[in-house]
Amino acid sequence: MNRPAPGRRLYAALHLLDRQILDADSMMAGKVDDLEFEQPRDGSEPYVATMLSGLGALGPRLGGRLGRWLSGIHRRLRPEPEPGPARIPFGVVKKLNNHVELTLHREELENNELEAWTRDNLIAHIPGAGHAPE
Amino acid sequence: MRLSELLDSEVVDCNGKRLGHVHDVQLIQDGPPLGTWGNAFRLEGLIVGPGSIGTRLGIVRPEMRGPWILKALFARRRSARVLVPWDRVREVGAERITADCVAAECQTAFTTDQASPPRG
Amino acid sequence: MKKLLGVTLGILTAIGGFLDIGDIVTASVTGARFRMALAWAVVLGVVGIVIYAEMAGRVATLSHRPVFDLVRERVGARLGLANLFASYLITFLTLAAEVAGVALALQLASDVNYLLWIPLVGFLVWIVIWRVKFETMENVFGLFGLALIVMAVALWQLHPDWSSLWHSASRPGVASGEGAPTYFYYGIALFGATMTPYEVFFFSSGAVEERWQRSDLMLNRANVYLGFPLGGLLTLTLMALTAVVFAPMNITVEHLSQAALPTSLALGKVGLALILVGFFAATFSAALETGLSAGYTISQYFGWQWGKLVRPREASRFHVVVLLSLIGAVLLALTAIDPVKLTEYTVVLAAAALPLTYFPILVVANDPDFMGDKVNSRLSNAIASVYLGILIVVSIATIPLMIATKGGA
Repeated sequence: MNRPAPGRRLYAALHLLDRQILDADSMMAGKVDDLEFEQPRDGSEPYVATMLSGLGALGPRLGGRLGRWLSGIHRRLRPEPEPGPARIPFGVVKKLNNHVELTLHREELENNELEAWTRDNLIAHIPGAGHAPE
Repeated sequence: MRLSELLDSEVVDCNGKRLGHVHDVQLIQDGPPLGTWGNAFRLEGLIVGPGSIGTRLGIVRPEMRGPWILKALFARRRSARVLVPWDRVREVGAERITADCVAAECQTAFTTDQASPPRG
Repeated sequence: MKKLLGVTLGILTAIGGFLDIGDIVTASVTGARFRMALAWAVVLGVVGIVIYAEMAGRVATLSHRPVFDLVRERVGARLGLANLFASYLITFLTLAAEVAGVALALQLASDVNYLLWIPLVGFLVWIVIWRVKFETMENVFGLFGLALIVMAVALWQLHPDWSSLWHSASRPGVASGEGAPTYFYYGIALFGATMTPYEVFFFSSGAVEERWQRSDLMLNRANVYLGFPLGGLLTLTLMALTAVVFAPMNITVEHLSQAALPTSLALGKVGLALILVGFFAATFSAALETGLSAGYTISQYFGWQWGKLVRPREASRFHVVVLLSLIGAVLLALTAIDPVKLTEYTVVLAAAALPLTYFPILVVANDPDFMGDKVNSRLSNAIASVYLGILIVVSIATIPLMIATKGGA
């Protein structure tokens, strides 16, 4: 039972928020740091359209000085002047159990920036980074 | 509108009486189809009540059978927890959310036929 | 047959890997000061870690989620972050203490000052984490840790007054000349050294990474139920050794060399060599575990890829955290902060922080969405809840006792 039958109920904070995201290869791809609702034009109830993940989403959620610092790191990783948080559309969710499984690979996700940066600027320079421990 | 903006917001009824804070948001999967997922989760209502730790931990759900002592500690608050249907939410302000109804009209949340999360 | 071998290996590694610098220091210090009067604290700690590790292992096996992932998922981002801060800090301090411990063991073996060994130790720990396979790491150091069994032989050799040892263990009254606050302060230290939080982070992360299945639950239980208590016996043996050698002359233990002395007195050079091998293995493996745990806690909170089974470039943030933590720990140890004192403070703080991670695990262990049919039974819930109460009491008592006793003076 990976897709709840239509009409199934969930609690957003209990079942979706702060859950681990796994990509199509079962690699860890961040946490669901926030959810964004879409308000349909026909006036019916809002629905969960996007998952927000990464420092750009966690910063505003935590708030305060710490939140601003985290958001600052996020901004520095992006070329745009006012980058929004990394978005993962709910449509790419494959499975929902005690974590969220996606149909995409993590390199295709917007929240991969910090990982890519540390990999390219730090870890890749250390010999043996490409080998699994033996 | 983000979930984080709803959570922990104060909720008052149409008379200004405080109902509590938003602990959680009840979703029902009958929204428009999204990508390869299926139907989107529509916002059905707000779970509102005093205090919040018990709900956050999931201890007050009926399917949690223990530990007995924690259930006992958090169960007192259960009766005060209500579900405010979204269509009764008049206004989502910066500081508080105003509901269209009075406390007595809202259902008690977490009854046994409510949420059954997916297993997989 | 292969399964039996695997089980035996697991138990042996659990015994050999049980001790770390915290156990070595607290056991020898309290043995010299209180004889066996604090033996109950070790027993209490062993029962506690058995319950905690079994639960965390079961949770990790069935939910495929490690401790810190679940901590945040249960208590939310904000409380989870406060929790992370405390847990990381304690893991970091423990890492520094273990690195210093390895350096001290090398000093005892070589007469080269431990400060000079520290950077090399840090580098060695890092390189093992970077390149050596998990299983190899566990098995090699676990088995070498069994060299500590020499302590039991040494104790036997010293022909102690067994009835007097038993007498002081079974009457846990306050030893003469020591106040109750000091007594309980050291009790907390022993308890915290036995029930180390990093052990559970490490254990559960290993279970997730190696994809333990339901069929592995039995194996997990064997390791925990047999290995840990036998490891606890080693701790008690060390306590007895210093009780027999130092307590009658009112000598306080302030250096690691004193922890090795009783064994070398009893068994000469061979004894000394074996116990140093044991100390080295125990502290080095603990340094590996705490180094990895420093990475696990932060990575699991943020949902980053972590682990030793993937190539380092696939878990870059995790490896950066481990590397920075090691560098920081080395720097802290290089300040020549007294390693024994650092260890004592760290285990006490670790004891105080136990409820933070124990509580969410207890809750998840009851959640059928995560555990399926393997939720806690009523009996295990009852015992686990009693322990939660104990942990909370310990937690509240720690800081006042620390102040009242001026850090165990």
